[in-house]
Amino acid sequence: MRKLRALLIRIANLFRRQRADDEFRAELESHIDLHTEDGIRAGLSREEARRLALIHLGGAEQTRQSHRDRAILPSLEAVLQDIRFALRMMARNPGFTAVAVLTLAIGIGASATAFNWINAVLLQPLGGVADPSHLAVVETVTGGGDLVPNSYPDFQDFRDHLKLFDGVAVTRPVAFSVGREEHSERVWGELVSGNFFSVLGVQPEAGRIFLPAEYGDAPGKYPIVVISDRYWRSHFGANPAIVGKTLRINQHELTIVGVAAPAFHGSLPATAFDLWIPYMQQPVLNGVQPWMLRDRHNRNMLGIARIKQGVTIEQARQELKALADRMAVANADVSLGMSATLLPLAESPHGPQGLLAGPLHILMGVSLLVLLIVCANVANLLMARATNREKEFSARLALGAGRGRLMRQVLTESLLLAICGAGLGIMATPALSRSLKLLMPPGPTQLMVADSTGTNYTVLAFTAGVCVLAALAAGLLPALQVSRLSLSARLNDGGRSGVAGRRHNRLRTALVAVEVALALVTLVGAGLFARGFQQTMRIDPGFDPNHVLLSQLYLATNGYSLAQRKEFCRRLQERMEAEPGVQGFAYSDGVPLGFEPSWWEELHIEGYAPQPHENMNIFRNVISPGYLPLMHIPIVEGRNFTEDDNESQEIGSMIVNEAFVHRFFAGTNPIGKKVHGWGSWFRIVGVAKDSKYHYLNEPATPYFYVPFRQIYREDMNLAIYVRTQGSPDSILSTLRTQARAIDPNVTIFDAAPLKEFIGASLYPQKVAASVMAVMGGIAILLAAVGLYSVMAYWVAQRTQEIGVRMALGAQPKHVLRMVVWHGLAVTATGMALGIICALALARAIAGVSYTNSAMGTRAGLLGGSTTDPLIYLVATVFLGSIALLACWIPARRAATVDPMQALRAE
Amino acid sequence: MGGKSDVWQGTLALMVLKTLEMIGPQHGYGLARRIEQTSGEQLQLNYGTLYPALLKLEQEGYIRSRWGTSDNNRKAKFYELTKAGQRQAHKAAQEWEQTTAILARFLAPAEEA
Repeated sequence: MRKLRALLIRIANLFRRQRADDEFRAELESHIDLHTEDGIRAGLSREEARRLALIHLGGAEQTRQSHRDRAILPSLEAVLQDIRFALRMMARNPGFTAVAVLTLAIGIGASATAFNWINAVLLQPLGGVADPSHLAVVETVTGGGDLVPNSYPDFQDFRDHLKLFDGVAVTRPVAFSVGREEHSERVWGELVSGNFFSVLGVQPEAGRIFLPAEYGDAPGKYPIVVISDRYWRSHFGANPAIVGKTLRINQHELTIVGVAAPAFHGSLPATAFDLWIPYMQQPVLNGVQPWMLRDRHNRNMLGIARIKQGVTIEQARQELKALADRMAVANADVSLGMSATLLPLAESPHGPQGLLAGPLHILMGVSLLVLLIVCANVANLLMARATNREKEFSARLALGAGRGRLMRQVLTESLLLAICGAGLGIMATPALSRSLKLLMPPGPTQLMVADSTGTNYTVLAFTAGVCVLAALAAGLLPALQVSRLSLSARLNDGGRSGVAGRRHNRLRTALVAVEVALALVTLVGAGLFARGFQQTMRIDPGFDPNHVLLSQLYLATNGYSLAQRKEFCRRLQERMEAEPGVQGFAYSDGVPLGFEPSWWEELHIEGYAPQPHENMNIFRNVISPGYLPLMHIPIVEGRNFTEDDNESQEIGSMIVNEAFVHRFFAGTNPIGKKVHGWGSWFRIVGVAKDSKYHYLNEPATPYFYVPFRQIYREDMNLAIYVRTQGSPDSILSTLRTQARAIDPNVTIFDAAPLKEFIGASLYPQKVAASVMAVMGGIAILLAAVGLYSVMAYWVAQRTQEIGVRMALGAQPKHVLRMVVWHGLAVTATGMALGIICALALARAIAGVSYTNSAMGTRAGLLGGSTTDPLIYLVATVFLGSIALLACWIPARRAATVDPMQALRAE
Repeated sequence: MGGKSDVWQGTLALMVLKTLEMIGPQHGYGLARRIEQTSGEQLQLNYGTLYPALLKLEQEGYIRSRWGTSDNNRKAKFYELTKAGQRQAHKAAQEWEQTTAILARFLAPAEEA
């Protein structure tokens, strides 16, 4: 305690050293006076008395020094001296300081932003849950190895039979309509198994969470809801009395039993939900038939499990897999070949992080590349300066400074530069972090991004770490250079300055070559991504999204029965088709190239014998007869659906695509063939042309359509399409009016031109391409600055040599050529290195797909070819011309050297 | 031996504390003189070593200082014990007595027999 107090006082004294010194001087003065007076009193002369007093003291200066050493911390003082000196050097060279700080700010800011995004999306799995390290995602695995969600009966088996788990819960993100009639509002929430909160370990902030009595599997029971802290504050003013009141959700009254802890936003990372309702309410709220809850085919629940303490994820995965494999045999009719697996939370393929993991990791890698370029740049600047300061350093060495002290000085300077850069970089991060919202996928996810408020210490710590690393990386070479300084050589050189050793120049040249290589890698990366994106954009989706307005209706949230929903659609179609300007009207379950999941059905096809474990889950859409004509998807054989393909038919109708025919009928005519699904038989009535269903760059995928009136079920979505003559937005108000005219309770929440909506499927590629373009630009700029500074320095060093050459008859153009050749030699070395690295990296990145969910069908993030020679050529030429420019400016300066001037400076 | 011995830091601190406890607030010169007197002129302090010791005690909070006027009307800095200093003087004295008592047994082993 006392020691600490003393230490703090000594540190504080560093800042009031002068005053303490003055005060002690006065104290000593008074001491000597008192002693002298005593001496005089004893009969000595004044001079003699004073001399004795000083002797007795042991010397005034020595006493002051030992007092000072005790008053402050000498070692800390040396550090402060270094800092003060470094600051003075920085202030004296504002140009150098500005360039170094700005480059560091760009490098550190870019990595901090990238890390901030990764932190927000990937590293902060769940807030408000107990011990998230023991939570894992449960995914069902299809025979083909694709990950899909789980069915409720599968969940019941997992819940009841797994021993190594402290519980398994399931959840399904759903949009609810909250409130009465016209004032209703769409709120995102989760339908969850009763044990959801207890498995996650979420505490209530007010009221309670679900009780064990509410964990049951009785459809229609437990009309209760837990709301989020955010919703509680925004809608109820954080009034605790709200517990026990009812909330009108999808036109049913649910009792609010509690408010979840403020940090809890639901089970999907980076996504904020506001309502949690027992899954058993699904039949009530969404009109789903109770049998669907018992259907193992109905795989739409995301699973989350808590592993027991002391059990590894691998052990838990083994147990889960063993159970799932037994279940697949026991329920062979629906689950043959299926299995299940556990994934760490951060690797969940669902939610924003599943979509963004690929682009974000690439972004992080690229920003580290840029940071490396920055460090090389700053190291270069520092080395150039250290060379200029060799005389200063030599003088300090001659005066007795230790080499360690000099190295510390140089490192202090680079650390200070890095701190200034990091400060600037951090100041910019809030703005850059907000841009993450712009990068998030459009639609509900964008609204759901959990807004991170307050200072993020993880990000700050990361930035501080990057800052120190950058300072070390940039300062180490110059510091070593200083420590190897030969004392005699320097001082003997007399007045000649700036004839730097070859070794230093070689080192700096190598640094620039590395910079050029890194810049080329970034540039090639940007080119590959941009080209991949552009090629994907040019792919024909197989349908015509222009002039189509898309709107999603949530009729189930209005308490509609299935028949009422079909009737509503029929009446809306009648009214809309009567409107002028409307060229077509259709509705379906799934939207192509959207974010909403696409569903599949397991089919048995007459005359086709599947291989053992062949994946017979085929993607499908449920459509109205107007859908294919409206989308301009041609029927290549047979006929389209008509209004007669309805409930009254004994056998359902089906339209398949060409890839379907190719795979299951070997290209022969399939019309009239029978296919079994949903527990009944369908007859193929037509073949539609292939189009794109999930991602533009997916390969041709077998796909089929069934009529809305025959197969539409309660848990399906409803998307409405209107084809217009002019801009699709112009028809929105008409659609709203007509929907209200049928039922005033129906609100069209969001509508967007189909063209914009399908842009969403390009989203990960778009993010990757735009981020790479920005980074590539920065990298080029930095490399150019580095090259320029090295060449300018090289020229400045050789001014005398050039002067001599010119005095001996060299022409300006010879000098120009000499300098440019030197610069281009460096550049060429760097580019050769860069091309090798880029080829290797591109191959690694080509393996990154955007998603590991079944829908992705392994669409690559890069899209195009990774060895496109055009991109490498363009990047090389572009970088080469920038390098030429960076060399040419100093070269011209060299060529205009006046020989007389240069020699006189000698 | 009879010679004048040097004083090392720890005992000097104890002497300062005990002296201040005895005579109350005193300036550095007075303290030094007083310590020499108390030792019966056995100790001859290098006065310069007193000040870092005083500063250390002050940083540790055992003594505090303020400017005042000496008997013969000179400005001088006076040191006095704090509450913690009084406790420390007591504690350190006890520890010192213990140490010397133990040492005494080694130095005069004949008496024990």
